[in-house]
Amino acid sequence: MKKCLLLLKKFGPLLGSILFYALIMFLRREKILNGYYMQVLMFAGVNVMMTVSLNLVNGFTGQFCIGHAGFMSLGAYGSAVITTLLFKGTEFAAAAPIAVFLLGLLCGGIAAALVGVLIGVPSLKLKGDYLAIVTLAFGEIVRALLRLIQPIGGARGMIGIPNYANFGWIMFFVVLTLWLVRNLIYSPFGRAFIAIRDNEIAADAMGINTTRYKILSFCIAAFIAGVAGGLYAHVLSFIQPDSFSFTKSSDFLVYLYAGGSGSLTGSVIGAVLLTILPEMLRFLADWRLVLYALILVCVMLYRSEGLCGGKEVPFLRIKRESLYQEPLFGRRRASSEHEEGGQA
Amino acid sequence: MSILEVSNLSIRFGGLLAVDDFNLSLERNELVAVIGPNGAGKTTIFNMLTGIYRPTTGTITLEGENMVGLKPYQFAQRGITRTFQNIRLFSNASVADNVKMAATMHTTDNLAQCLLRTPKMVRNERALDEKVMRLLERLNMADKANLLAKNLPYGDQRRLEIARALMTDPKILLLDEPVAGMITTELEEMAQLVKQIREDFDVSIIMIEHHMNFVMPIADRIKVLDFGKTIAEGTPEVVQKDPKVIEAYLGGAYQNVDA
Repeated sequence: MKKCLLLLKKFGPLLGSILFYALIMFLRREKILNGYYMQVLMFAGVNVMMTVSLNLVNGFTGQFCIGHAGFMSLGAYGSAVITTLLFKGTEFAAAAPIAVFLLGLLCGGIAAALVGVLIGVPSLKLKGDYLAIVTLAFGEIVRALLRLIQPIGGARGMIGIPNYANFGWIMFFVVLTLWLVRNLIYSPFGRAFIAIRDNEIAADAMGINTTRYKILSFCIAAFIAGVAGGLYAHVLSFIQPDSFSFTKSSDFLVYLYAGGSGSLTGSVIGAVLLTILPEMLRFLADWRLVLYALILVCVMLYRSEGLCGGKEVPFLRIKRESLYQEPLFGRRRASSEHEEGGQA
Repeated sequence: MSILEVSNLSIRFGGLLAVDDFNLSLERNELVAVIGPNGAGKTTIFNMLTGIYRPTTGTITLEGENMVGLKPYQFAQRGITRTFQNIRLFSNASVADNVKMAATMHTTDNLAQCLLRTPKMVRNERALDEKVMRLLERLNMADKANLLAKNLPYGDQRRLEIARALMTDPKILLLDEPVAGMITTELEEMAQLVKQIREDFDVSIIMIEHHMNFVMPIADRIKVLDFGKTIAEGTPEVVQKDPKVIEAYLGGAYQNVDA
């Protein structure tokens, strides 16, 4: 019995994801979900990846990045250059499109990660709002540069990117990202990130090389964002620099804080709900965005720590007592925490 | 041979000579207390001994290795760790995680092993869990392992700071006012704890403290600072009879009190 539970705990999430995938595929075949719904779902997946990676920097390491779309655009362009400019129409691409696709994603991720190291460097000197300004500027610089480079379409953007990414791929990468990031958070690396977030001076005094871990955090987050950008490009098959403006970055921030920063569950729920919600509100026509914003205001007023702030579903954490939490806006109700912690 | 050799340590902030010519030769397993009025430069010395400030002149040598110019985390990695006067815990993590975070530098798992959560990494994590629990048991905090650090009572927060510092396997432990703001009973518990740590963990301790009743019975040696200068040094008995110390710090009334 206990063994069964353990097995279920280990493989349950994987099984659940496969069942979910099968359900979506079934609904698609029965024509209940049309292509438009599928695309919304795929964007939700990309947004989950973006939000999880942003969570790593903002929620777990306590840095403040508000130019995350910059990494996404680097990944999108990086992968599109590989799949479209280099391999499109070649025999190799016809024979092994998946290999080309994966190579593209990898290159996109690496391109973003390298720049992530660069942007991690100012984070060593700057904190909070000041770092935010630098990352904001970074996002805009990337966008401005991409507009200038003619071979990749300049301001017009790139068209005709093969749409390799289907729902299955997106699901695969979302699950993979969640698994890897969860493992990372509940490891010495994750603990170092959280130590830096909670008290950088103490982290330093306890022998944690804060410089190294902060850059690493940016680098890993940028890599994930780069892969997410690559997927985005291969869903939409069209990208332009202006799709990765500050508005896009702020979307991810909203997903993160509405879902609950410092909680992987929160990132998933925030990103999925807030990607689908505006689409579901389309019947309201022009009032749609007003209502969307109102819902956000209400979430922040009544659950300032985010929908899942300080909470984590069992398979996204490894041990009960390792529940890290950090409400960013406002204070948590402190009363119940004593009893909660005492049980285990 | 002494484990830590500090000579001619001085630091200047603009026109202010905050610490002037501080010397210390710390033996293995010795407990030295640094006392002095507010603003005497005690915490500044700690900040230099942990790499937060770089001294203007002077040397710090740990087991023959020059430490001046190293970063704070390198001081910790080489075996000097501290607690803070104003408590600096990782407040949103549990007690057990606070202690585990201090073991980060001992980890042998690389990034790939952690990302994939390999069996070896899981084994290491289990071993770490056990080590943490053993340490917490010795400090009578095992029952609080799962509480968030910020929800601990004040005395336990100080205790946790010490537990965390011990997790780095220090050669020298610097305690910055370990009993500040504590009541008398807690004071005795802490004195007991400091004695126990010194015996069990084979560390040398340098301690800043104001409570004379706390310092006198447990310190081997006391150094008295005033305005950055060392005005007296010696065993507790010698120091508390020194007229300069009495004038600068203890006040005339202390002469009649038995330590």
